[in-house]
Amino acid sequence: MRAYLIKRLFFGVLTLLVTSFLIFLLLRVIPGGPVDSLIEEEWDDPVLREQLRHELGLDLPLHLQYARWLGKVLRGDLGVSLVLYQGEPVGRIILARFGVTAQLALLALSIALAVAFPAGIVSALWRDRLPDHLFRLLALGGISTPNFFLGIALIVAFGVGLGRSWGVGGYVPFGEDPWGWLLHLLLPAVVLGTDHAATISRMLRASMLEAAGREFVLTARAMGVPRGEIVVRDVLRTAMIPVVTVIGNSAGALLDGAVITEVLFRLPGLGSLLVQGVYARDLPLVQAVVVIAVGIRIVVNLIVDLTYGFLDPRIRYGGER
Amino acid sequence: MAREIQSGEYELGAHRTLLQEFWRNFRRNKLSLIGGIIVLFYAVLAVLAPLIAPYDPIKQFDAPRGMRNPMPPLSHDVDGHLFLLGTDKFGRDILSRAIYGTRTLLQVAVGSISIAMLIGVAMGALAGYKAGTWVDELLMRAVDIMLSFPSLVLAIALVGAFGIGKIRIGPFTVSNIVKIMLVIAITYSPRFARVTRAVVLQEMAKDYVAAARITGASGARILLAEILPNTIPPIIVQASLMMATTILTTSSLSFLGLGLQPPRPSLGLMLNEARDYLFWGAWWYAVVPGGLITLAILGFNLLGDGLRDALDPRQARRRR
Repeated sequence: MRAYLIKRLFFGVLTLLVTSFLIFLLLRVIPGGPVDSLIEEEWDDPVLREQLRHELGLDLPLHLQYARWLGKVLRGDLGVSLVLYQGEPVGRIILARFGVTAQLALLALSIALAVAFPAGIVSALWRDRLPDHLFRLLALGGISTPNFFLGIALIVAFGVGLGRSWGVGGYVPFGEDPWGWLLHLLLPAVVLGTDHAATISRMLRASMLEAAGREFVLTARAMGVPRGEIVVRDVLRTAMIPVVTVIGNSAGALLDGAVITEVLFRLPGLGSLLVQGVYARDLPLVQAVVVIAVGIRIVVNLIVDLTYGFLDPRIRYGGER
Repeated sequence: MAREIQSGEYELGAHRTLLQEFWRNFRRNKLSLIGGIIVLFYAVLAVLAPLIAPYDPIKQFDAPRGMRNPMPPLSHDVDGHLFLLGTDKFGRDILSRAIYGTRTLLQVAVGSISIAMLIGVAMGALAGYKAGTWVDELLMRAVDIMLSFPSLVLAIALVGAFGIGKIRIGPFTVSNIVKIMLVIAITYSPRFARVTRAVVLQEMAKDYVAAARITGASGARILLAEILPNTIPPIIVQASLMMATTILTTSSLSFLGLGLQPPRPSLGLMLNEARDYLFWGAWWYAVVPGGLITLAILGFNLLGDGLRDALDPRQARRRR
C-alpha cells in the first residue's frame, strides 16, 4: 500500500512537471508573446522591446527560463501577473479565487449525488417501467443540454420569470451573508451539477442491474433475506465501484464546467480568471491556472483510486499479496 | 434463426451482408433511429444553408418606428421584411444566422473530428502493434499526459497560446476556423488513440493475424490491410459520440468569446450576445441557438449509442 502510494505520487509529480513544461513551451513558442501584450502600438520601439525581454528573462534559453520558473514555483512564487492585475503576485490572485471555485464545485457535486442516487436506484428497481423511462428522458436531456444554455434558461425562468434575484451573478462570502451566499451559488451549482447527475445516475442504474444478476443475490433471495436488505447490502455495495469511477471522472471534469458557469454567472473563480487571462494574454497567469487545474485533477484521480480499496477489500495495490 | 431453419431458408438468412445485419440491429432501437433522423436534418441544414436561409446572415435591417432591435419573432422591418424568429441586437435575421451558424458548427466539428481521428488512429495503431516496446510506452505516456488536462481547460490554454483570431507563422496564415479545428483535434485525439490501441491489441491475438504472418506478410501490411479494417466499427462509434462532445466544446469556446469571431454566424456566440438581453425579455435570442446546439448534441448521442449497440452487440447486452 505504501509502495503503491509512493509510486502514484511520484508519477503524479512527474506528470505535473511534464505538463507544466509543455504549457511553458506552448505559451512561448508563439511569436510576440508577453512583450507584445505589454507594449502599446505607439510606444513600440526595438530598444524598449529588448529591455523588456531582458527584464522578463525572455532573452535566456528556454530550458533556463523553465528552470528559473520552476525554482520560483518550488519556493511558492508563481510569478507576477503582467497585464490583468499588473504587478500582483499570481499566487495571491489564485488563492483568492480558488475558494469560490472549490465551493461551487463541491456544492455542484453534492447536488449531483443527491439527485443521482435516488434517481439511479429508483430506475433500477422499476426497470423499464414509468419511473425508469422518465429518468432516462431527463438524463438524456441533462447530458445533451450545454451548461451555458441551461444556465441561461434558469436565469430567464428564475430571474426574469419569477422576478427573483436568483442567478443575477456575483458572489457573496458565506461568512457575510449565508442566505445571499446560497442565493448566488445555488443556480450555478445546479447548472454545473446537472450533466454529472445524469451520468452518475445512469451508471448507478446499469451497474445495479448487473449486480442484481449475480449468484450471491440469488442465494440471498433464496435464503429469504428481505428485499430492502439485499438492495442495500448486496446490490448497492457491489454496484459502487464503477459508480465511483464515474464520480471521479465528474469531479475531474468539474473544472471544465466551472469555466462556463463562472463566466455565465459572473463568479470570481479560477475558471473566469483563466478566460480573462487568455483575453488579456497574461501568460504567467494563464500558465499558473492551467498547471493548478492539472494538479487538482491528478489529486482527484488519486483519491478515486484509493477509494476502490475501501469499497472492495480484494483490490490490492501494486501487486501486493 | 430457428424459424428460418424450419422453413428451409437457412442459407438465405445466413447470407445477410454485414450491412444488412447492422441495419437489422440498428432499427430495432427507436431512439437511435430518432438520433439518425436528427443528424440527417442537421446535415441537410448545413449543406443547403444558402438555399434555406431567407436572408444574408450578416445583413443588418432597421427596426420600424417605435421598435428597436432585437425584435421578437414575426416582426417586420421598415421595408416589410419578415423575420420569422426575430432579429439580433444588430438587426440581423436570427433564423438566417442560426442556419449559417449550424453550418459553421458542423464544419468545425467534422473537421476537428477528422483531424483528431487521423492523429489518434495513427498513434493508437502504432502503439498497439508495437505493444510492450518503448514506442508503445512513449505514445501511451503522451496520451496519459494529454488526458490529464481537463479538456476545455486544455482547449482554452491552446487558444491562449495561439491567440484569439487567425495566426501567422512566418509566411503562413492559419485562419481562425482552421485554428479552432486544430485546437479541438489536439484535445481529443488521445481518446481515439486509446480506443484504437485497445482494438488493435484484441485483434493481434486472433488467428488471422498469425496466418498472415505465416504467409510472410510484412508488418506494415498486416497492420494496414488486415488489422485496421477491423478497427473501423469501434472507431465509428467513438467518432459519433465524440461529435456530440466536439459540438459542445466548439460552442463553449465560441460562447466564451474564444472561438469563432464576429461577424461570422456562430451559435455559441449568439448565446453569448443574448446574455445581455435576457432581462429585456428577449428569450428568442437565446432559445434559438441554444435549442439548436442541444438538439444536435442529443442527436449525435442517440446515434452514437445506437451505433454502439448495433455494431457491438456483446457490449450492448451488458449495458442494458
